[in-house]
Formats: sequence, structure tokens, C-alpha cells
Amino acid sequence: MFNRTKDLRLSIIKQMELRAAQYPDVISLAQGIPSFDTPPGIKRRVENALKRGVVAKYSLSPGLPELRELIEISLSKDNMFYDWQTEILVTAGSIEGISATILAITDPGDEIIVPEPTYTSYREVIIMAGCKPVFVSLDEAKRWSLDIDKIQKAITARTKAIFFCNPNNPTGIIFSKNDLIRLGDIAKKNNIFLISDEVYKDFIYNDKDYKDEKSILFSLAEMPEYRERMIRIFSFSKAYAMTGWRVGYLHSDESIVREITKIHDSLVTCAPVISQYAAMGALEMAQDDVLYFKNEFHKRRDMMCARLDRHQGKISYVKPDSAYYVFPKFNYKSKYSDKNYPNSNSWNFALELLDIAQIALVPGFAFGPSGENHLRLSFGRSEKDINDAFDRLDIFISKYL
Amino acid sequence: MKPLLKFFLKHYLKFLTNFVIYIHHPVVIAIAGSTNKTFTKQAIIRILTDHDISFRANPNSFNTEIGLPLAILNLPSGYHSHRKWLPIILKSFVRIFKKFPKYLILELGISDKSDMKYLLKLIKPSIAVITDITQRYLDSFSGMDELADEYGYLIKKINKNGLILLNNDNNRIISFINDARAQIITFGFSPTSDYRANKITKYSHGQKFEVITKGKINEYQIPYFGRHHIYSFLAALIINSYVDKTEKI
Repeated sequence: MFNRTKDLRLSIIKQMELRAAQYPDVISLAQGIPSFDTPPGIKRRVENALKRGVVAKYSLSPGLPELRELIEISLSKDNMFYDWQTEILVTAGSIEGISATILAITDPGDEIIVPEPTYTSYREVIIMAGCKPVFVSLDEAKRWSLDIDKIQKAITARTKAIFFCNPNNPTGIIFSKNDLIRLGDIAKKNNIFLISDEVYKDFIYNDKDYKDEKSILFSLAEMPEYRERMIRIFSFSKAYAMTGWRVGYLHSDESIVREITKIHDSLVTCAPVISQYAAMGALEMAQDDVLYFKNEFHKRRDMMCARLDRHQGKISYVKPDSAYYVFPKFNYKSKYSDKNYPNSNSWNFALELLDIAQIALVPGFAFGPSGENHLRLSFGRSEKDINDAFDRLDIFISKYL
Repeated sequence: MKPLLKFFLKHYLKFLTNFVIYIHHPVVIAIAGSTNKTFTKQAIIRILTDHDISFRANPNSFNTEIGLPLAILNLPSGYHSHRKWLPIILKSFVRIFKKFPKYLILELGISDKSDMKYLLKLIKPSIAVITDITQRYLDSFSGMDELADEYGYLIKKINKNGLILLNNDNNRIISFINDARAQIITFGFSPTSDYRANKITKYSHGQKFEVITKGKINEYQIPYFGRHHIYSFLAALIINSYVDKTEKI
């Protein structure tokens, strides 16, 4: 019984949120939710679709043609050329796209290499598909960069894909073009797939040492030589403050998307049609809103880093270039030993912080073994939440660290 | 947008647009159809850029009663904000006397009955391209006949010195041929097309194909994927030939 689910765990982030809900004065910097509401232009697009009576029926399984065409137009602005009719699939959020992709490209028993720390749910999806996640650590000493040699060594006859998140959650680091091309070449040489989750690509904090965003953010999907093994995932959730709408998309060569669509069709038939109209509104009318969000997150990142800098010697971190997370390492051995994960210092430290300071953060081990002794702090929350949480954290650190 | 603001904007922008077009009389290329307008527009832009001809094109969402005049006048949208519209309205009048491009390449968006009629009160295209007619945006029409009539109206409105480019693979589009006063050039994959694509092969960096025109065969390759890009390319080839002829003088 429950063979498929026995090794799955409820996301550590959600476990943390469940526990946090029992503390009335808790401040949560745990979940990766932007503090903003969906932009008004998107809402109006949806209201209009509702009035016209076009949202009640299924769409075609790959998504509304008009949305897919808009996605192709949007991709072409980023130097990615994919046919909307056969190579773009609208999904129910990125996680459905990821699940459909892994189910389509693997057989049970296959291995998927996952550079970590990385987004928590990858592990669960891979296990759900009957496959094995092979974690390969990122190099913290080199600003959490990809360790290409380690990845190369982790490849076996059962390796089916390398699955990474770029810009990375939880580190907020963007992988270099050079490393990505080396990764692409490894995939080519070993005939394996590449899955790139790029949901944070719109939030790049362009400090003055970078010429422009394109000089730091690169996707292998821009290079035609990788298109037959590269699956790129995107979600409207983060960029457009639409986490509740559950809509995203993936794109790849026709030969791969055709197979993924079969799984997508059997999982969800199609992405929610009302949300597909919201996605059209996002692409047509919300570019200024994305820019506003980005500028706000940029300010909040700087504010959070300045607060962390007050504790040099006790906390170390790599300043994020993207996403809305900081992933600091704490020199602290927790006094707690919770029965669920007694050996995880980050889990126990997070529980201790919750108990004593009523701050909810995500323990680093949720993102993979290299995340141990780290905590993820989200600056997607409001400035007030961040400042209040840090006022409490300052007291905790001065007392216990 | 509040109905009063919309009413005012619609009429004010129409007046300005008519005035600007009357003064500068640009060559207007209208691109209409259910799909593939933007890629066709982009392919035509590449042709005009290669010929070093000045042009202005509308962003893909600026293709309806308010958006189209804004694009022609090169103004941003204030969307639903009264505060944002005010400076746009104030500076719009100055646009009349600014340097104006020789060509306008405009996508026309149709979502309701008589939309085309209204858009053609704003502009008088001398060239029309009909990319495709599908059931997209059918919800506001009584059926395909009524939807197709919108495009039929555009074809009728091109005067006899103009040019009409029709997708020859779409039966709805081809049924309008007899209504036209202007010269018609067809494009597509079917053997009767004036510009006919053939022998398409996909390769890692795009598509290769040949184009047969008046018995001559030329080979091309494009860095884009999907049959729709071949239609866009064929339409752009026709514009290329038109520009070669008309701009030489």
C-alpha cells in the first residue's frame, strides 16, 4: 500500500507554514509569495473574458492558440525561437510542467542529476515518477556556482537528465553562460536531457558592474544546438504576482513537447482557461508592473542584506543577483531536537526561531544536503514584515549566537 | 476605462489620426487575420529595414480603436488611469507636425462586429494582407460568415491602385477574390498560389524551403520554426517585390 507515496514528504516549506500558523504573532518570511496583488490590467482582461463567456469550456490541451502565439512572440524577444503550434505547452503552473516533463522523459529507475541547493519540490516529483534524484552540490565558495566536474562524475548509464533552477532558488544566484554551455555539452555528449526552471528570470538586480541584464542572464534555450534536449520551464506566478492562478508554460523541440503533451493531457486536460486569459493579460499589459515589482524587490534585497551585515562573524551569505531570497549560513548549533528531523540543525534552528522569536523561515536542508546550516529568508514580503522580523532576529542573535 | 473617457479618447484620437494621415499621407500596409499578424509584420519590417525605408509599426496589442491611433501617433497608452492619460493628451497635438515615416505597418485587431469598419475610418490602407481566418474571437459574432465579413470589408476597401495579399490555403479568404478591386497576389503551399512554398525541411537552426514564383524557383532558409513563419516570409517577399518596383524611382 502507498508504495508510490511512502518516500514522498509534504514540502518542508509547507510543514513550516503549518507549524507557523499555530503562533498568533508569527512573521513569515518562509513562502516564496510576492507581497503584491495581481496587476489590475490582468484582472480586467479576466473580467472581460468572463463577460464574453469564453472561460467555461476546455481549451485545446496545449493551451489557447492566442496565448501560445503571444508566448512565442515574448520568447522571440529573448532570442528563443519556438513554434507556438507544436513547441509551446501551457501548463497548470510550473510544477505541473515539471511533473509532465519528468514523467514523459524517464522510465522508472532512471536517475536525474539535481545541482543543489535547489527548489524543494524537484525531489518529490522525481521520486513520484519512480526515479532517483542524484544531488550534486553547488560550490558555495564560488558564489554557489555549478560544479561541472562533479556533475560530470555523477553521470551513470541510468542518468536521464540534469535538472536545474536558474536563477536559483534558494540562493538567488544566476549561473554563468560559460558553465551553462559546458553543462549543455555534457548533456550532448552523454545524450541526456536538460530541464531548466527559469521562473525568476524577470527579477534580476542589475548592479552597476553589469552592462545589461542579457549579459548576465542566459538560457541554453537560446542556442538551437541544444533545442532537441532542452526543456525550459516558466511560470506566471512570480513575475506577475499570480501564484494562485496556477498557470505557466514550457517549451522545447516538437519531438519532446509532443510526448510531454500526452502526460499533460492525462493529468489536467488543459491549464485553467480563466488563468490562460490572465496569462494573456500579463503578456499584453503588465510589463510595467513587473518592472515595478523588480525595483521594489531590489530595494528590499538591499535592505535585508544591510540587516544581515550587522551580524558579520555570526552569519555569512552570498548576495543574491536574482529571485527574492537570501540564503545565509548561521554559525549556530540548535538546542532543539525535533522528532521529525532530529539530525537536521537547520530544521531544529528554524523551529527554535519560531518558538522563541516567532519568525518563520525555511530550513536550508529542505533544498538539499548542501543547504544544511542555512536558512532561506524571502524578501518577497513587505518592507514592514522584513524589518519587524529582523528586529526579532537581532534580539535572538544577540542572546544566543 | 470609464465610458466617458473612452468616448472622448476615441473621437479625439480619431480626429488627430485622420489629420496626421491627411498631412503626411504614408503608405499604409494593413495586416489582418485571426493569427500570425505579428510575425507577418515583423517579416515586412525586415524588408523595409533592408531597403532603408522609414516606417512605423504598431506593438502587437495596439491594434484596436484606441491602440491603433496611439501607435500611428507614436504615443504610449494611459491604460485605465486618468492621471496617465492627461500628459499623453497634452503632448499628442504636437505629434501632428513631427517628422513622419514613409510607411505604416499596422496590425488590425478584430474582436467585435464592425471593428474593421471603424478601423478603416482611421486609416486608408493601400496594401492589405490577410494572414488567416480561424474560429478565434468568434464569440462576438453570429457565426463564421459574419466574422469573415469583417475581413471581406477590408478587401473591398482597398482601391484599384492598391495591392491585396491573400493566404491561398484558407478557403474563407479565397472566397473574397471576386470582391476585390485591387490587384491580388496569393501566397501559400497550394499549387495555385502566386508565391508558393515547397519542399520544407526543418533543421537544427530553422527551416529551409523553396519558393516558386512565375515558374522560377528560389531557395531560402529562416531561423524560425513553424509553418506560420513560412506564410509570413511569403507575404514579406511580395512586399519586397512591391518595394523594389515602387521605390526605385
